[in-house]
Amino acid sequence: MTEPFLTAKHRILRRSVRSFCDRELSPIAAQIDQEARFPWEVIEKMGPLKYFGIQASRELGGAALDSLSYAIIIEEVSRISAAIGLCLSVHNSVAVFPIMAFGTAEQQQRWVSELARGQKIGAFCLTEPNAGSDASGISATAIQEGDHYRVNANKVFVTNGGVADICLIFARTDPAAGRKGISVVVVERGTPGFVVGDLEDLCGVRANPVSSIRLYDCCVPKENLLGQSGTGLQIGLVALDTGRIGIAAQALGIAQASMEEAIRYANQRQQFGVPLSRHQVIQMMIADMATQVDAARMMIYRAAWLKDQHQTFTKASAQAKLFAAEAAGKVTDLAVQIHGGYGYSKAYAVERYYRDARVTRIYEGTSEIHRMVIAREAQKEIMSDLHIA
Amino acid sequence: MTFHIIVCIKSVVTGAPSGVVKRSPQNSQLNPFDWPALEAALQMKEYNKGSVTAITMGPAISGEALAEAMAMGVDRGILISDPALKGSDTLVTSRVLAAAVKRIGKFDLLFFGTRTSDSDTGQVGPQTATLLEVPFISGVKQFEGQVGDWTVERGMDEWEETWRLSSPWSASINQHAYAPRSIGLDSLSEVFDRINIEEWSLTDLDLATEDVGLAGSPTRVVALKKLRRDRNCIMLEGDAQVQMEELITHLNKAGVLA
Repeated sequence: MTEPFLTAKHRILRRSVRSFCDRELSPIAAQIDQEARFPWEVIEKMGPLKYFGIQASRELGGAALDSLSYAIIIEEVSRISAAIGLCLSVHNSVAVFPIMAFGTAEQQQRWVSELARGQKIGAFCLTEPNAGSDASGISATAIQEGDHYRVNANKVFVTNGGVADICLIFARTDPAAGRKGISVVVVERGTPGFVVGDLEDLCGVRANPVSSIRLYDCCVPKENLLGQSGTGLQIGLVALDTGRIGIAAQALGIAQASMEEAIRYANQRQQFGVPLSRHQVIQMMIADMATQVDAARMMIYRAAWLKDQHQTFTKASAQAKLFAAEAAGKVTDLAVQIHGGYGYSKAYAVERYYRDARVTRIYEGTSEIHRMVIAREAQKEIMSDLHIA
Repeated sequence: MTFHIIVCIKSVVTGAPSGVVKRSPQNSQLNPFDWPALEAALQMKEYNKGSVTAITMGPAISGEALAEAMAMGVDRGILISDPALKGSDTLVTSRVLAAAVKRIGKFDLLFFGTRTSDSDTGQVGPQTATLLEVPFISGVKQFEGQVGDWTVERGMDEWEETWRLSSPWSASINQHAYAPRSIGLDSLSEVFDRINIEEWSLTDLDLATEDVGLAGSPTRVVALKKLRRDRNCIMLEGDAQVQMEELITHLNKAGVLA
């Protein structure tokens, strides 16, 4: 059997990433979750292997891989630790990628060359206490004063926030211009007025230092503006189109790991004189898990493949993210159910997977927002096929 | 001529075989026992500023094992593939590899894994070395030196032997001796941007069809049977003293303490 979309490169990539994660990440995955600790010892090994520059160009120190490779890497890392898969997904797709796509050559040299080598970590700062799904409602400001911007912002739930060096800040450069007055300004840690808030005490992905980031009168040179002034929301949407593939792959990795654990357990645990796996009711659950996992995988690979073919992938990536996140919810739930009381205990990995899966339906666009995107795109497609509009 | 190491590798079948195995990308992978051999070669290549060639004999899918070796840092990959090779035993495999090594030409070191994870014979290394008439040391744990003068250590159960010899020599590398490097995403990406695996057939090696495959193989696997391990669980009861005595009785009966 050959899996569609995959080439020899992708198969070798999967094996290499898996063997790295089995060796370096697997032994500490449960522990870093318990301690809510960011594992620098593994991050430092990932840097030279280019896990932080998956799609960045080689001239800038990246690996220049395709989107399908990116999805496979996030899937495999998340299969072992969703928190670290999240770190890589956000860093690569909504920090490095927008700088590659919208940054000037100088900006790429200045930021990507260190980000791609893992010497610095990136973050995407959009969400605020009163602006989440409605990104146009942000109140952060970046007011130009001569040759610099004065930035004031209160950003919350920033993935990688506690360790981020280079932050993409969404702020109003023209407060009177509404949606068209929002821009992206890059602010580096260490700039006077840059404050990292307390780490969030989260339900899952606990090894990721999610925090708030507050900027008090941070002055950054006007060269830190990414793309054109007023195009912040477009940059955000393009970044999130790609980011979704990563989060979908993260959800898939969690679901895959849960299914593996559940099948392993169902074949060991005996009840009523036979292994659980011999009971038809458990077989039904395994069938549902396997189908959800495979369907999610095919949708994600298709979205990544479309992107690699330079085709429109907004709907495909939204569908993949929606489906994979919902699938991760179902699959982790079934995995806990198969484990019974043990699945509710931290002694078993499925307890962690169950917690980790929940947020994939929330961040980088909730399931509800994705349904809005899909509905809009589906109607556009059909209406144009029917020559209405 | 620069320092040159050849490593013979294999694409193995994963999972226990039952009947005739149909090869697919999903059930094929680079033999895990070859990783230490590749790693040892790559470390010595870096130290002596040379190059490493990997060769493998097998169906087309074996090219993936070569690509993996190249992503680790191997410079040249050669796939020996020919329909006539189907059914070759270890002697024929050794003959083919020896012919390929001769065709490649000059080498300083020739490495093998200690065995393969799918057929487990450990015969191909020593047989190939014998056909090439180069010295062979099995289970090498460490080696150092240069072209003319090498010190090689091999481990045995309770002993360590130290050998001195000069190039060319061949060896199988102890499976625990050289932890394989992690493949960098950039080197994988680069290898596939300019992937160039040479493909050789029997005619390239001056071998006749009747010398290889089932026809040329003096040995046959006539049956393959999965072993069943029966394990019994016996619960011992009573206080510690009673349980201990009962345990000793059981172990005696099983011949473990005798």
